[in-house]
Amino acid sequence: MQKTLYITSNGRLRRHENTLYFESGEEKRAVDIENIEQIHIFGEVDLNTKALNYISQYGIILHFYNYYGFYSGSFLPRKKNVSGEVVVRQALHYLERKKRLFLAYCFVESAVYHMMRNLRERKEAESFLTAIEDEWEKGRFAISSVAELMGLEGRIRNIYYQSFNQFLPDDFAIEKREKRPPTNPINALISFGNSLIYSHTLSQIYQTQLDPTISFLHEPSEKRFSLSLDISEIFKPLIIDTLIFKLLNNHKITLEHFDEDLNYCYLNQDGRKIFIKELQTKLETTVRHRQLNRNVSYKGFIKLECYKLIKHFISDQVYSPLKAWW
Amino acid sequence: MFVIVTYDINEKRVNKVRKILKKYFTWVQNSVFEGEITLGKLEKCKRELLSVIEKDEDSVYFYEMEYKLVCSKKILGQEKNYDSIII
Repeated sequence: MQKTLYITSNGRLRRHENTLYFESGEEKRAVDIENIEQIHIFGEVDLNTKALNYISQYGIILHFYNYYGFYSGSFLPRKKNVSGEVVVRQALHYLERKKRLFLAYCFVESAVYHMMRNLRERKEAESFLTAIEDEWEKGRFAISSVAELMGLEGRIRNIYYQSFNQFLPDDFAIEKREKRPPTNPINALISFGNSLIYSHTLSQIYQTQLDPTISFLHEPSEKRFSLSLDISEIFKPLIIDTLIFKLLNNHKITLEHFDEDLNYCYLNQDGRKIFIKELQTKLETTVRHRQLNRNVSYKGFIKLECYKLIKHFISDQVYSPLKAWW
Repeated sequence: MFVIVTYDINEKRVNKVRKILKKYFTWVQNSVFEGEITLGKLEKCKRELLSVIEKDEDSVYFYEMEYKLVCSKKILGQEKNYDSIII
């Protein structure tokens, strides 16, 4: 199992003694470079080309986040798994309206399924669950374009977020989902989690032959690795939302873990550490896969989605999105 | 798998060995490393070591466990926590 490293403190990342060192002040720490898959950098970290060259030899992906914990970019080493054929076929699925709509529908279907799954165990949210079900059953057969699908998903997500108020602590009331910038703690938490899942998904996509810029639900012109947005749609409710419920309901994260500025709110360093730690345990949790007949971690499921997409593109097997069966 | 590595190497070569082990494991104490590793990586590490050590003079011990949970670690005195994934 390749490790993920998260750097939340400030310092310098450098190549030394043929491995990677993280130095912050007096403290020095060697990193076992052979076992690292990706590094997420939240603090103020210096690094030079010598370090970058060495990192890229090992195919390690760096993800950078800004002061507020939002994803700002990645350093992607030269891609080793390239396949022109897959990229061409992937593009073909984007160009044909029906094929694109099919994939976009799959992503939304899975996202909605996982949202409903999150609410199913909660008695308080029963009315919201039926509301989502109604909206979905009513809307899903009437879709004729990706834009309409996005609209339907937006409406469902609205109901979904409203239901949070029923079972989360009162301190974390959600009036409205707000991004850029998040204005209250719960929005900050969702935004932070979504940034993380986005970059984790990107790491997994990057290890496969898929092109992360050709997407189906989101527009590829979004100047982002939008396939990552598509796939993380599935995993946002499955991984991040369940994590948020757990952290808040067990009072592991409380209001003191947030810094508030003028109409701005974000998770502070302690809060981030708690969140990251929980996320990492979640990503490493394994579930028995019924067809593969082996244990697959949540991180592994992200990669499996990529493989399923490749199979779909080369017309080996029709894509059916993940629906958590456990 | 989880591996503990200890070594006793002639001073001339000890730094070379240390630098190799550093890439694969986390440093625990003087002459001791430990960490989770895959079988392939472990083999690669052993190959690298073999090219450096003198077989009739140096020794490197590998304690290999299938799972980390097999062994429990008890610490007296200072714990140096170098293996956390959050820095």
